[in-house]
Amino acid sequence: MPNLTAKLVEVFQLGEEIVGVLDLPRHFWPEPGQYLPCQRLSEKPEIMTTPLFKVIGDPNRLCVAPLPGSWTPGDRLALLPPQGNGFKLPHNARRIGLLAMSIPPSRLLTLVKPALAQNAAVSLFCNPQPDPDLLSRVPSVVEVGPLSALQDNLQWPDFLAVDLPLARLEHLQEILPPLPLPFEGQVLVRTSMPCHGVGECGVCTVKTRRGWRLACVNGPVFPLAEVLHVA
Amino acid sequence: MWLDGQSTIRKQDLLLTNPYVNAAGTLGFTPDPRAMPFLNHLGAFITHPISRRPRQPAANRCCLPFPGGFLLHTGLANPGISRAVSRYRRRWASATLPIIVHLLAEAPETVAEMVQKLEGLENVLAVELGLPPECSPKLLFDFMAASTGELPVLISLGPEQVPTLLTALKALQPAAVHLTEPRGALPEPDGGLVSGRLYGPAIFPLMLSAAQTLVNAGLRVIADGGIYERWQAEALLGCGVFAVGLDGTLWGVDPNESFRKK
Repeated sequence: MPNLTAKLVEVFQLGEEIVGVLDLPRHFWPEPGQYLPCQRLSEKPEIMTTPLFKVIGDPNRLCVAPLPGSWTPGDRLALLPPQGNGFKLPHNARRIGLLAMSIPPSRLLTLVKPALAQNAAVSLFCNPQPDPDLLSRVPSVVEVGPLSALQDNLQWPDFLAVDLPLARLEHLQEILPPLPLPFEGQVLVRTSMPCHGVGECGVCTVKTRRGWRLACVNGPVFPLAEVLHVA
Repeated sequence: MWLDGQSTIRKQDLLLTNPYVNAAGTLGFTPDPRAMPFLNHLGAFITHPISRRPRQPAANRCCLPFPGGFLLHTGLANPGISRAVSRYRRRWASATLPIIVHLLAEAPETVAEMVQKLEGLENVLAVELGLPPECSPKLLFDFMAASTGELPVLISLGPEQVPTLLTALKALQPAAVHLTEPRGALPEPDGGLVSGRLYGPAIFPLMLSAAQTLVNAGLRVIADGGIYERWQAEALLGCGVFAVGLDGTLWGVDPNESFRKK
């Protein structure tokens, strides 16, 4: 696996997240939902890698989060190529729902551009309501509504992309209808991934229909039907 | 153990070509040269802990950072010894470095059964017994008696167990004592306490001190210690341990850096 280096060229606040802009060549950019294990290069080695995800921003620059608060513009970073499985929008999806549960939708919003490029209608459902700064970056053609709007219109999407913390997976299955779902879907499961797969440390395991899977290797994006209603 | 021309070699002695190993639980069940370009620096590969029966992940599994390190609580999920042997024996046999299989010592009778399943496997160099936190000297004697066979036996314990077990270890003289990361506790984000192993440079002074105690007792010691810089490994080797165990640093973007730094 080749090791990469990049410069942190800009740091800014986006809602409650700290976002950084990296000068990484485009062919190393992660797909939405994939992550870059990253460490700042400094005299004292950092103890853990930080998994950086692509977030909404200028499409010509790589915007990633969540950045540790101690990183500053000009820092040199060592990183690995994109890891894990990201979102894969079905080419035939025409009504795409984005659902962010208990977290900012900054990662999901990276799907808006490819969704609009395939002439899909896009709706964002969030709970809680996103920060106004984040909302200002959402194209006006994207409808934004609360979680209840999705619950009232479960027949609308033909594809649903979800982003949530691991602990909220059980809550998701209370919101969505029983299997089989009336739409396709994928879920980005947020959890610690300290070993990024090299150690199979097991802290990021997710229970699926095919047994326990590691979010760092087999995810962090899983098919919805794989993780819902798993006893 | 380094040959000095005067010592005799017993079948149960442990020989390493390089004075570095990985800590159990840091590199999975089998070495993967593609994902682990640092393998040529290691003298042996220690597997993820394996129990007699399959184990599920802990419900409250987590990784909690603290200043100078992090606490890891996973539940040590593994497929159990039978499936592990059938699943990994070929990859152990074809590995470019010898394998030390880490066994979770739960009861003496299950240890004996697990060790028997490993004897005769190609390229398995030794077994390492991970002691339970409450292990008494008597139980340690029972574990050692149960595990005695063709393979060298390493005893893996945390520094908090050294005072209780030191006398028994001196009497038993295992092939090596592997001093592993201490156990600790931190508050969970949702309240309550979570216990787990502690990793990171913050534990180094504690580990160095415990390693010195074991070395001074005449034991052959492999010591982990939150090693992130070369000088830390050199300090442990300088105090007489015969190999250094690496943990969290192997999860860095470029673990080879740990071996290069002056």
